Amino acid sequence: MPLTEPALTKRIPTFPWGDPKNRRTVGIDEYLATGGYKSLEKALSMQPGEVVNTIKDAVVRGRGGAGFPAGLKWTFLPPPDGKTRYLCINCDEAEPGTFKDRLLCDFDPHLILEGIAIACYACQLDTAFFFIRGEYHHQAKVVQRAIDEAYAKGIFGKQGLLRGASQFKVECYLHRGAGAYICGEETGLLEAIEGKRGWPRIKPPFPAVKGLFGRPTIINNVETLAACVPILEKGVAWWKGCGCESTVGGMPSYGPKLMGVSGHVNRPGVYECDLGIPLRKLVEEYCGGMRNGKKFKGAIAGGVSMGVLGTDQYDAAMDFDIGRKCDVLGLGTACPTIFDEDTDMVAVARNIARFFKNESCGQCTPCREGSGWMLKILTRIERGDATTKDLDLVVEIAGSMGLTPGTTICGLADGNNFAVRTIVNKFRGEFEKRVKPHYVATSVPVTTRGAVGAGAR
Amino acid sequence: MSWTTKPSATQKIPTRTEPYLTAAMKDRYERELIPRYATRHGALMPILHDIQHEHRHIPYQAMLEIAAFLKITPAEVLDTATFYEEYSVHERGTCVIGICQSIACEVCDHKKLVDHVRGKLGIEPHETTDDGKFTLLTLECLGSCDTAPVALFNETLHEKLTVEKLDQLIEEAKHSSGEHH
Repeated sequence: MPLTEPALTKRIPTFPWGDPKNRRTVGIDEYLATGGYKSLEKALSMQPGEVVNTIKDAVVRGRGGAGFPAGLKWTFLPPPDGKTRYLCINCDEAEPGTFKDRLLCDFDPHLILEGIAIACYACQLDTAFFFIRGEYHHQAKVVQRAIDEAYAKGIFGKQGLLRGASQFKVECYLHRGAGAYICGEETGLLEAIEGKRGWPRIKPPFPAVKGLFGRPTIINNVETLAACVPILEKGVAWWKGCGCESTVGGMPSYGPKLMGVSGHVNRPGVYECDLGIPLRKLVEEYCGGMRNGKKFKGAIAGGVSMGVLGTDQYDAAMDFDIGRKCDVLGLGTACPTIFDEDTDMVAVARNIARFFKNESCGQCTPCREGSGWMLKILTRIERGDATTKDLDLVVEIAGSMGLTPGTTICGLADGNNFAVRTIVNKFRGEFEKRVKPHYVATSVPVTTRGAVGAGAR
Repeated sequence: MSWTTKPSATQKIPTRTEPYLTAAMKDRYERELIPRYATRHGALMPILHDIQHEHRHIPYQAMLEIAAFLKITPAEVLDTATFYEEYSVHERGTCVIGICQSIACEVCDHKKLVDHVRGKLGIEPHETTDDGKFTLLTLECLGSCDTAPVALFNETLHEKLTVEKLDQLIEEAKHSSGEHH
């Protein structure tokens, strides 16, 4: 049964159930009056392990980009030893094209806080750090106000969860980032909370064993935690009824998902739909079609690091299989940026390369240097000064960066790798039109030994 | 990421007698901030936020004071202060215009906005006007792609910007007292 009523956007008017013009921040009183914190109550009536099993049974795949099952992640924790254990909430939504978590922070922050309380109880984590990106000034204020309200109503604090309904105490703090994309990487985020530069750590040890301040830590995306609330309310069967099964033998993509569409469409914005919705349907039905009646040319799959969908992939199903089926890195945050027929894909590639060059933390050489060189080459191609050899070079550099070839600590470079390679591969003609042929003058004497290029390949 | 070059060890640090980290601030941090984090180092980012907000940059003297307060080395403070985009070791203008340059804003014509500010104020991205009023920054995704193009004026996000609207905002900022709004 597909999604028939809004779940995550229950209190946020969203097409087709409501008009975004009527959106406003839901305070604690309204939240409680509309069934708020009932899921937490239900969770507290269960054993922590049962809650974990519920989320595990529902196969809630992480909404932050990687799609790792949240319930499984929770089981990696060692048993409680009486000392501090942390939950870190990843709201470092810095991926270009992504703005779904902002919607929840803006209008329904208590939904996130309820999810936090549930996760803390389930995993027996006593301190939660809500990491919000520095650029979200307004959202930081909204979330801080919501946290204060939750404390005042006894959700968090010394008396135990939900006014002492459980003896288990949770403290929740807001921690503001300061403008670094890399802090969205889970271990980079931990470093930032520790007050250091956001350099990702080498894994293992994994954060579940040794994370924030060396203690067991769970890091979850905002939307993942928010999803725990309707799952406990409506049950695992409801969750599994939304979304779709995998058609390529992978893990299923259950549940509703927030999808933020931007770019050349008539009504850009965040929509809640079933996973597996075809991109065409998302654009034509939810977003009111392409802007100015133009034709679809391509789309970023879900945040720039996932790569692009080509003109012939307009019908791609937006589920976690998209990576395997459409030759992109994955679903990412499910926030596609749509391009119309007038878009210069060379400029798109250059823009994305610039983003990664600016945001590479500089820890691993292939990423730090490669991103810079790719930007230089792509700028040259855009200007029309490059040759066909440069095009091959840029693809070669891209392919050498990231976790996939095994040359970096974190996945930032994979984003650069996939973004650039998919654009060049899927729109190669456009690039070839901009580059000059790489001629070698025939009169140059060629020696077999010591000549440049000889024996290199 | 700001990739600021670190100054050499021989650099002379401008000092003032009045401390940046006042006793009242230290007292408040000690009560409210420090207990949250397992190490004193953890309180560094919120403190840097306060200093940046108040002084529009992180003065070197403040870094030394913070280091002493948190019992960490000044190098560790400098390390964090120079890593993040939002902190600056150079004083920024009273009105910081941060125009988003990421993909959704670029395909929705952010360049017009940047060019307009450059022409109107005579500054390039990451420069400050001589009167110290405006700083132009080109930032990476501000997370408001549905309303592209967008720009931050200090801490306020302005969506669906046009050149006319931008012009109006700059005029307003010119005549305001320079408070963070």
